[in-house]
Amino acid sequence: MEIYLHANNLSLFRDFKVFRRAAVFLLIFLPFASFGQANSASVINSKLYGKVVDASNKQPIPGVVVRIKGTTHAVATNADGEFNFVTGQKFPYTLLVSFVGYDKVELTVNGSPVQIELKPAVNLLTDVVVVGYGTQKKSDITGSISSVPKENLNQVSSSVDNLLRGSAPGVNVTQSSGQPGASASIRIRGGNSITGGNEPLYVIDGFPVYNDNASVSTGAGSGAGVNALSTINPSDIESIEILKDASATAIYGSRGANGVILITTKKGRKGTTDVSYGAYYGQQRITKTLPLLNAAQWASLRNDILASTGQAPSFTADQIAALGTGSDWQDAAFRHAPVQNHELSFSGGDERSRFAISGNYFSQDGIVINTNFKRYSLRANYERDISSKFKIGLNTTTSYSTTTGAASNNGSSGLSSPNLITSIITTSPVVPIKDASGNYNLVNPYTSVPSNPINDLLSVINKTNINRSLGNFYGEYTLIPGLKAKVSVGADLISTKQNYFAGPNTANGYAVVGIASVGNATVNTWLNENTLTYDKAFDNKHFINILAGYTTQRSTGEAVTAGSKNFVNSSTTYNSLQSGSQTSTPTSSSYSWALNSYLARINYSFEHKYNLTLSGRADGSSRFGAGNKWGYFPSAGFSWNAAQEDFIKNIKSISSLKVRLSAGETGNQEIGQYQSLATLSPVNYDFNSVLITGFAANRLSNPNLKWEKTKQYDAGIDVGLLDNRINLTLDAYYKKTNDLLLSIPIPLSTGYSTSLQNIGSVQNKGLELGINTENISGGAFTWKTSIVYALNRNKVLSLGATQTSFFPVVPSTTLGVLQPVNIKVGLPLGTFWGYQTAGIFQSVDEINSSPTLDTKANTKPGDRKYVDTNHDGVITAADKTNLGSSQPKFTGSFTNSFSYHRIDLLVFFQGSYGNKIYNALRQQLELTNLSSNAYASVADRWTPSNPTNDVTRAANSPVAQMSDRYIETGSYLRLKNVVLGYTFNGSLINKIRAKQLRIYVSAQNLATITKYKGYDPEVNSFEQNNTAQGIDFGAYPNYKTFIVGLNVTF
Amino acid sequence: MKKIYILIGITTLLLSCNKLSENPTGVIVKEQFFVTQADAVAGLTAVYGELVSDGSEQPLYGREINFLADMTTDDLSAGPSAINPNVRSLSAITYTATNDRVQVLWRQLYTGISRANVAIDQISKMSFDQTTRNRLVLEAKFLRALFYFDLVRFWGDVPLVLHDPTSTDLNSLKTNRSPAADVYKQIIADLTDAQSLPAAYTGADIGRATGGAAKTLLLKVYLTQKDWTNAVAKAKEIISGPYGYGLVANYGDLFAKATKNGKEHIFSAQLDANGGLGNSSTLMGAAFTGFGISVPADIPADSSVYKQFSGNDTRRAATFYTSLVNPSTGVTKVYPTFYFGKYVDRTVLLTSNQSSINFPILRYADVLLMYAEATNELNGATSEAYSGINQVRNRANTGDLTPGLSQAAFRDSLYAERRREFVQEAQRWFDLARTGKLVEAVSKVASKTNVSAKNYLFPIPQSEISLNPGLTQNPGYTN
Repeated sequence: MEIYLHANNLSLFRDFKVFRRAAVFLLIFLPFASFGQANSASVINSKLYGKVVDASNKQPIPGVVVRIKGTTHAVATNADGEFNFVTGQKFPYTLLVSFVGYDKVELTVNGSPVQIELKPAVNLLTDVVVVGYGTQKKSDITGSISSVPKENLNQVSSSVDNLLRGSAPGVNVTQSSGQPGASASIRIRGGNSITGGNEPLYVIDGFPVYNDNASVSTGAGSGAGVNALSTINPSDIESIEILKDASATAIYGSRGANGVILITTKKGRKGTTDVSYGAYYGQQRITKTLPLLNAAQWASLRNDILASTGQAPSFTADQIAALGTGSDWQDAAFRHAPVQNHELSFSGGDERSRFAISGNYFSQDGIVINTNFKRYSLRANYERDISSKFKIGLNTTTSYSTTTGAASNNGSSGLSSPNLITSIITTSPVVPIKDASGNYNLVNPYTSVPSNPINDLLSVINKTNINRSLGNFYGEYTLIPGLKAKVSVGADLISTKQNYFAGPNTANGYAVVGIASVGNATVNTWLNENTLTYDKAFDNKHFINILAGYTTQRSTGEAVTAGSKNFVNSSTTYNSLQSGSQTSTPTSSSYSWALNSYLARINYSFEHKYNLTLSGRADGSSRFGAGNKWGYFPSAGFSWNAAQEDFIKNIKSISSLKVRLSAGETGNQEIGQYQSLATLSPVNYDFNSVLITGFAANRLSNPNLKWEKTKQYDAGIDVGLLDNRINLTLDAYYKKTNDLLLSIPIPLSTGYSTSLQNIGSVQNKGLELGINTENISGGAFTWKTSIVYALNRNKVLSLGATQTSFFPVVPSTTLGVLQPVNIKVGLPLGTFWGYQTAGIFQSVDEINSSPTLDTKANTKPGDRKYVDTNHDGVITAADKTNLGSSQPKFTGSFTNSFSYHRIDLLVFFQGSYGNKIYNALRQQLELTNLSSNAYASVADRWTPSNPTNDVTRAANSPVAQMSDRYIETGSYLRLKNVVLGYTFNGSLINKIRAKQLRIYVSAQNLATITKYKGYDPEVNSFEQNNTAQGIDFGAYPNYKTFIVGLNVTF
Repeated sequence: MKKIYILIGITTLLLSCNKLSENPTGVIVKEQFFVTQADAVAGLTAVYGELVSDGSEQPLYGREINFLADMTTDDLSAGPSAINPNVRSLSAITYTATNDRVQVLWRQLYTGISRANVAIDQISKMSFDQTTRNRLVLEAKFLRALFYFDLVRFWGDVPLVLHDPTSTDLNSLKTNRSPAADVYKQIIADLTDAQSLPAAYTGADIGRATGGAAKTLLLKVYLTQKDWTNAVAKAKEIISGPYGYGLVANYGDLFAKATKNGKEHIFSAQLDANGGLGNSSTLMGAAFTGFGISVPADIPADSSVYKQFSGNDTRRAATFYTSLVNPSTGVTKVYPTFYFGKYVDRTVLLTSNQSSINFPILRYADVLLMYAEATNELNGATSEAYSGINQVRNRANTGDLTPGLSQAAFRDSLYAERRREFVQEAQRWFDLARTGKLVEAVSKVASKTNVSAKNYLFPIPQSEISLNPGLTQNPGYTN
């Protein structure tokens, strides 16, 4: 029903009046039409029966206005797309057929019946698009806005962020984990911020939501984060617009710097009530497993490690021979997992109200045993015209989702087990998975805690349940023609419960005889928006649209956790904390933030040829230092529809041409709460066994903390060629972020580790290209192609006067000490930093004649050789160098869609080029030790008789070094999605009284071309962390999915 | 029509303005603190807290200090289940400036110093009861001296920071190394003041720093500086002072929950598994990891650690175990070799990391041995020197030391006695370093032959030099 909502839009206004008049006419006269026909005394010169269908799928279109040219006589099509004229006109005469979203048709009819095919509007410049706080005619837009194609919204995914991959130029999506319900990290035109948030702002039916996964984490759960966006059902989404440049995003001020994603959910349309049911079922399987040592190889490795430290071997040759391949822990942990989705929706409307309601059930089992995600959601959108001037509406969704995740495994002490995925990989193949009696074997002589990762996966309870209600209620009143006041009140209520239990037979629960914890977190956000819009046209030449508004948003969060350990009996799991004999310290916390904003925008268009947009927002945020609460974010945009100039109108091949320019400033407030204050944390001490509470400051206060501001300049061109069969959008941009909110490490001798300061600047510049072509159209066979290409170059310009580089804190003790990432002026964010390697030392002579990292005495043949990049004769940290960046050189996608009669086929490739991944998992698997399994390459390790230059000798836990050996190319080309569908013809669907029936099969991640050695090149172990992107430290692996599905509309 | 205006008006008014000032309800802000006497006590408690707890790492006393002071010596090695390569490289004496354990200990000591600095500066400005206020400041001075004493012994010249930073300007946060002599001057000044702390406490104040603890730490400082005259004088003050110190009859009572803070305790890291705190702060118990496991994380460096004890030495049974009784089943598990047992709480064996055994930092046996050592260095193996060492030996049931030893022979016997007395008490590396015997002793262990003269100091953490290039690295370590 977007048409009605935007009827105030000038270009549509006349169409609308006609339509309304026609509709009124129809309503009054149509019921009597057949009656009148028989009894009419007036002159009947012709009767015309006809049907209007969609040219692309031959489906009837109801509500189409058919008018006889030169008369006021018009009718509208009924639910079956049929219309009847009884008229005094004589054949032949000309019909004018128009419907929003389709090209207008003017045709001459000679007799009855007639079938009219309407082509979906391809002239993209005439579309209406959703922009911040309103809609705008695409022709008048000055900013850079991409719409996500419908095909992308039809992929299988638990949440919308994963659907954006490859959907629009400049939108880079990295999945952080394959765990069902897990999040993705999204960068629009590169990352601006180093420490602040870099995720875009989502605006769901007008409600701004920053997807902060911390809001659904209580602290009681374990393992990969749960994605707050997974609570929204992706199939409820009608359209997604991505706002990229300042002209488009400045209206969101302090939250616009990272780009804005506008999500509009499905609304009802006037006409008959549609009942739709959609379902799919599929299977998922792991894309690949890692090659690891088998039992015999591992036993031999262990003997070699023992020999390297002068100890006796632990396996005899006979024992090794008898071991064979041993346990395949990956095989035991991974499975083929089902995924299914069911959705039922009702939508429709009458003269005064529109509605759409839907219910959804989504269930996805993870490819790791005992992991899954389920969502139950309901949506209701309703709008009613109380009077011709007053309209009210409600958009609301409520959902319950539950995630069972693979818990982290902190029980086995040390490095190589940061999570359960790595404990699966590192558990020795010599250790049996099950014992002789078929129970899970809990004895592992090679680790400090007896455990079995498979048993841990099956028995540890790690559940997150989220209830979310997101909705807004609004009223819109037309004060005088063209001037509308809109008041909207919304709420986003998120309540999360997390349950955790590790029994005494698990790694985490062993030492403490079972550990249970529960947590509860609520985040309530309230929003009030008050806007005035004024639309006016002068002389049909000057068009203005003015928006002014005041909004205020407030959010409060509260969380509690409680836990206990030492359970006599495990049967109550987390449900009876009082049964544990020892309590863990309970925690509770709260925060709140507020944002008050004034916003304004003026759109001016001269003949839809020259367009100007000025927008501005003043944001007052509670998060900043006392003196810097308010920030001001202006922007200006200009566009020129050159195709309307006579000198271009004459060029037949150019159907549309538009040039856009914009500049503006946006901000970032995602720094968390209370960061400008020196907050205290409890630090307790037991005086003679009596616990006394103490307090110490966590950080230094910084009352000068202020906004991070991004200036952005954009120049773009939109071209339509050959009747818009080729559409091309090209954008170039430059962004510079100043006053970076940077949590910089400070000398530990101060007593503090980091300090949040406004220091430094970062630039992003890039090119974006989107091409849509209709290669073959008009016949039974059609072929369309879409190409998306984006390159972004990111560079740190300054880190303040006192430093030119620093090593950001990587949130892992193991990796943190390696300082894998360097933030350095002149280099992009996410630059990996370490030694270059030059093979392996083959002899003592070579060691003595080469620079070494360790002393010559400590360096043995078979050790790694590093490059002395500064030629000072020794290997020191000064020899560490730039090993490449986690930021891709370019990203792109290539989509082809074909249709032949009723068969449709979509082939969607997507890829990334030039990004590096730090494969920390492989590094850990090549650091041989006596406890854990190793990468298969270690079987071919250096020995005096095997003088390889690849894998070092067997040694007991050699010291890890950050080196180019584990920096791998992350480039990939992926067949992301293939869909083959069939739409049934009339006779069959008539039998079941359906309007439409389509079945399809689809495969996602079917094939991937990459040199990356880990599970999957789409990996990001540290999720939303800005400074530790592109690190693979054992994330939940990605998978391929095969789906069959059906959609039916009644 | 009117209705609608009213509706719009009301809605707008109701929600119109949210306050932008930050008034956190879930956290305390520094500006709201150090107002009441309870705040002062809590601020000081946080200084003590740094001894045994850390937000993200294992505790300072009770784990991290043992990595540098025991793991790098001929006493301890990393067991096969210790798979942190940084721990293993400490064990193998191949550690570098990027060793994470070295950085963690540096951070923990400076965090403690920072909290002590805040407590000293803030409490001095407050206006509650003068006696209590002085006491709290002096306790903080004792702790600051303890942390600096560890720093200066491990790293030599170190940044000397005595006040909380007043600005977040980066240049003002950089501090270069001060000569060790200046650091010692500060330590002695703080401890000299702290000598006037109470001689003893009662109830829930037991465990606080006493005047005796300050004197004992001062004695250790003098001994480390080879200031034998002051050391002997200070030892006499402690022995004859009003503190009531003495050796407990049963050596094993030093490492038992029921007998903690007895007459031999002078200053200990107070650990307790109750109330949630001890859960993470008693990781010395992690050395014992249960009944299904072959080898704990820390193991004796070689057999000399066990063999130095004679069969009738009562310290051997308290220092090691070769078998344990499962308290829930009563079954005895016998191990193929001997493991460290001082911090294994035998009453909660199945729940390792739950030990409530204190970690002794200063105890009376140390005073007696330091007294004997300083006396021997000053006057030779006199009867006073013999008296000190023999009290310790007799308590251990090993009888008097052979009389009539030369000064050098007495010295060797004393060093050997110290090794037996203080296994796993973070004393060994300090003793070897101050007596110049580190390379000689550690290189005897087959897996530790990498030890060299550079190991008399630890490397300044690389991350610290990266942030402040004005910091120089210790000799023998590369950046």
